[in-house]
Amino acid sequence: MRRREGRLSVLWTMVLALLPVAAALAALGIGRIQIPPADVVKSLLAKLSGSPGLEELSEKTLWQLRMPRIILAALAGAGLSVAGCAFQSLFANPLATPDTLGVASGASFGAALGILLGFKMIGIQLTSLAMGASAVALTWLCVRGRGRGLSTVVLSGIMIGSLFSALVSLVKFAADAESQLPAITYWLMGGLDKANYKTLAYGAPPILLAIVVLWLMRWRMNLLPLSDDEARSSGVHIGALRTVTVICATVMTASVVSMCGQVGWVGLLIPHMCRMKFGSDHRALIPASVCLGAAFMICVDTCARSVSAAEIPVSILTAIIGAPFFIVLMRRSGGWRL
Amino acid sequence: MILKVENGAFAYPKGPEILRGVNFDLCDGEILSILGPNGAGKTTLLRCVTGMLRWKTGRCLLDGEDIREISPRRLWRKMAYVPQARSAAPAYSVFQTVLLGRSSRIGSFSTPKKEDYAAAERALERLDIAALADKNCTELSGGEKQMVLIARALAAEPELLIFDEPESNLDFKNQLVVLDTMTGLAQSGMACVFNTHYPAHALQRSHKALLLKKGEPGIFGRSPDVVTEAQIRSAFGVNAVVRPVETGSQELLNVVPLSISGDENKTEEQDRQILAATAVIMDSNRASEQINAILHAYSHLLVGRMGMRRYGAYIINITLRGAESEIRALTHRLTLLPGISVKTTFAKDDFGGKEPES
Repeated sequence: MRRREGRLSVLWTMVLALLPVAAALAALGIGRIQIPPADVVKSLLAKLSGSPGLEELSEKTLWQLRMPRIILAALAGAGLSVAGCAFQSLFANPLATPDTLGVASGASFGAALGILLGFKMIGIQLTSLAMGASAVALTWLCVRGRGRGLSTVVLSGIMIGSLFSALVSLVKFAADAESQLPAITYWLMGGLDKANYKTLAYGAPPILLAIVVLWLMRWRMNLLPLSDDEARSSGVHIGALRTVTVICATVMTASVVSMCGQVGWVGLLIPHMCRMKFGSDHRALIPASVCLGAAFMICVDTCARSVSAAEIPVSILTAIIGAPFFIVLMRRSGGWRL
Repeated sequence: MILKVENGAFAYPKGPEILRGVNFDLCDGEILSILGPNGAGKTTLLRCVTGMLRWKTGRCLLDGEDIREISPRRLWRKMAYVPQARSAAPAYSVFQTVLLGRSSRIGSFSTPKKEDYAAAERALERLDIAALADKNCTELSGGEKQMVLIARALAAEPELLIFDEPESNLDFKNQLVVLDTMTGLAQSGMACVFNTHYPAHALQRSHKALLLKKGEPGIFGRSPDVVTEAQIRSAFGVNAVVRPVETGSQELLNVVPLSISGDENKTEEQDRQILAATAVIMDSNRASEQINAILHAYSHLLVGRMGMRRYGAYIINITLRGAESEIRALTHRLTLLPGISVKTTFAKDDFGGKEPES
């Protein structure tokens, strides 16, 4: 008898794989300039076959403005969800988020610093990545050697996180109130409006790579929530497993933050939704988080850019859409467990 | 499989020595119990034996190889660890949990294969808990949880099982279920090590015992030689009596704690020679070779023996004369054999201790 449990059924795999694709197709047509679905498909086919597509404005809107943005949304959603999922398992704590080790705060500080120093987009992205990584490195240094209990790690992460939050405030305080301060503030609220293929060229590969590594380790990751002795007695080098997990989650979070600022909630919401539906086995959890996170983020970002004339920061929407939905789901499924 | 610890000692960095002078050895089919008061280092010892902590001096050999030189993957295919069933368990189903026991046989970037599923299935069936397979681990009772953890260890198909206080926190029946499971596994040829707070369990279940005392070398030997009234007093500071309890078919050694000891007088050594008769009834003669070996080891006690086969059972009557503690030790070793009933009666006095003249 072979048991399927712990893995996704064929039907669910198909549904989950199609979800982000469907969301992306729908999102391509929605916005200030409405493009009917038929035209979207036509333009897509034209792109593939090389024949001329729609008129120039629509073409440009679809492929220069909306497409990179949708790709960024999908990557951000998938990356944050998987990072959240990894941290929750690593710390055996349902409240862990991608920011638990201070990554997002560090990356935010890096970006704010970049804006303050008047860097270009690429410069901001790079300082952000570097600061995100330094925040985690600092957290790791704090707990090296003695008392490496996981709650110590979480506590250090919170401390380093708040240290970097304070530094962000310091940067804001020092920033020029006319031009730089609003830029920093908007950036921190999160938004995908800066998306273009050049940004993606730097930000996408690390996220994709980290997702692939975690996906390859999906069975091993099931050992993460076990107690220390249990994990070690599995014959697996648990220290290496944890380190790789932390590095992957950090890379993903820092890359996302460096491209689109702080996007809250996704890293908590999506993994828990997946846990409620598919259980705690990472063989199902990782692919489900990737697909659902991507689809969710595409939907939220589409709302953010099309609901009103001015763009709504995406973090506000993730919380407004996410929180009630999450509560309904939690009440119906009788809560979640790790 | 032979597990051997030579002159093991352990101390945490900048701390006092917790373990010192630990020596023991264990073979296939044997059970070793580790006893000692709180803080004597029972769990620390298990962590040293499994290589999770590094000995300060001494070493631990598995089939003659220092376990520090065995790669974790290879080591944890040979031995498996059964932790205490504490409250927090990850929300995996029982089957998934048992499947995790296969980790040492599954590659880093790989997922379980057919044979892994089959091994997990076998482990569940061996412990008779296949019905639990689809339950979530967070919904199990303490006893069920402990059985699942044993199944997870068995899924690795180890030769040596290490239990950390397997019967603590369990009710009366579940203690028995878990201990019987362990005994059964040992009888099928596995070597078992377990930590326990119950000297009686050590006497009733284990072939060998290691008694840890705070700041003193551990005492190792056959269980009835180690778990004695004198040793319990010196290790735990408790006055206890070790007495056989008669059941319909057997007598089991039991330990009843009486009072906390001060610096009281010791009871006198029982060197007195005494006559005893041991009756053995077996369901088959599969253990007869082992019985012969045991009787041979105690041949200086042997006065006479008589075997017969009646009503499908094998019956042996053995007459013994010697020190009471030695006769009890002999009885205890017989008790541990499979499918056997053993009882020993002691003479009320030594009748002058002379053979009749003929």
